Amino acid sequence: MPGRGPLCPGRDGWHAASHLAAGRLAGPRRGGGIQTDAVQAADAYLVERAQEGYLDAYAELVDRHGGLAYRVALRLLGNHHDAEDVAQEALVLAWQQLSGFKGESSYPTWLYRIVTRRALNRIARTPAADSLDFLTDATDSGAGPARDVERNLTVDAVNAAVAALPPPQRVAIVLHHFEGLSNEEVARITGSTVAAVRSHLFRGRRTLTKTLQDWR
Amino acid sequence: MTDPSRPDDDLWQLLDDPARHLACGADVDELLEQAADGQAGQLTGHQRDCPHCQAALQEFSRAWEPVRRAAVTPVPFPAAVRNAVARQVRKLTADVWYTLDLADGGAIRIAAHVVARIASEAARKVPGVHVVFGRSTHANIAGLAETATLRHRDPRAAVGVLGRTAVIHLAVAAEYDQELDAIARDVQQRVIAELRDKAGLRDVLVNVTVDDIIT
Repeated sequence: MPGRGPLCPGRDGWHAASHLAAGRLAGPRRGGGIQTDAVQAADAYLVERAQEGYLDAYAELVDRHGGLAYRVALRLLGNHHDAEDVAQEALVLAWQQLSGFKGESSYPTWLYRIVTRRALNRIARTPAADSLDFLTDATDSGAGPARDVERNLTVDAVNAAVAALPPPQRVAIVLHHFEGLSNEEVARITGSTVAAVRSHLFRGRRTLTKTLQDWR
Repeated sequence: MTDPSRPDDDLWQLLDDPARHLACGADVDELLEQAADGQAGQLTGHQRDCPHCQAALQEFSRAWEPVRRAAVTPVPFPAAVRNAVARQVRKLTADVWYTLDLADGGAIRIAAHVVARIASEAARKVPGVHVVFGRSTHANIAGLAETATLRHRDPRAAVGVLGRTAVIHLAVAAEYDQELDAIARDVQQRVIAELRDKAGLRDVLVNVTVDDIIT
């Protein structure tokens, strides 16, 4: 067996193809939103390979978009523990259902749909979270400890306020304002209408604005 | 009525007001939407001349700033999730095994995905090759092997064991200005040699598909 090269069985068991594909596969945009053509083409290539059974192509998709699943789950559920469970469920489910993915939407849009549904199922099954530990593992750009504490407190307050919204408003706010998706994309992901999404956004924004006015 | 010189108190009250209109008639929800979407600076014709709208947009932009800050705060993807997904997907995949030795001391087997990984590693070393995805023998071939050996299977052999013969599929992206058939042949030779050396597989069939070009 060769040394610990990129294709050797790593400690995580995946075949890490991502950095070898550098230059060939354009990376996804941070925070979601509209993807570039190059990113979509790279995703389509990986999806096609994964559908043919190339596990390492799916590993690459998980590397590219796993963060999306976890981030959305965290913001919808309000705690790391449930977010990890739901992200994991969603990413495994995506693998199981990949053969049914016809490319009618982008891969991230399809994944948003899966993770949002899993999160909503979890919300329906469990009582509201009593701990909001959003920033346990978050890194920061570092403008001094005091500034970081203040920033983290504000971010915690926002995340707590979002997690306290009724689920439909929470989904709309997270997908539109945190993930940068358009109202049309949110409607497609949630199986709703643009008018309904806007209505949830209006109500969610009002509540958030009032809740957060002390944090300005 | 809204006094533009003191937008705060009235604006917060207006958020609870069923009508939600400023004194100028502008819809508070739409102003909040405009500010939250980061469009507060893109004033309409009415807004350019309206102190009520301008004050509200300014105030809503300030109110929404913590949300904008939270939205750009990085949320790292936990390695534990990635690893757990890898394990589960691996389990879900109908994996096959190659048996290298069935001696009295026990069986030595190597997982097909490990064979695929060795093959991919070898292929990537070929000059001109950029991206490789490796896949070992198809699950349906494993199924056929299982069916064929059902009655005669060695009790020490696991389901899907295929002996020392491996069929590897490699999808390769190569550089544009290279001779693709030469690259494919190099890939085959190197993969065959490495699987023989590293995994002890005797008969190796390597199917190479050059399915993309790097310009």
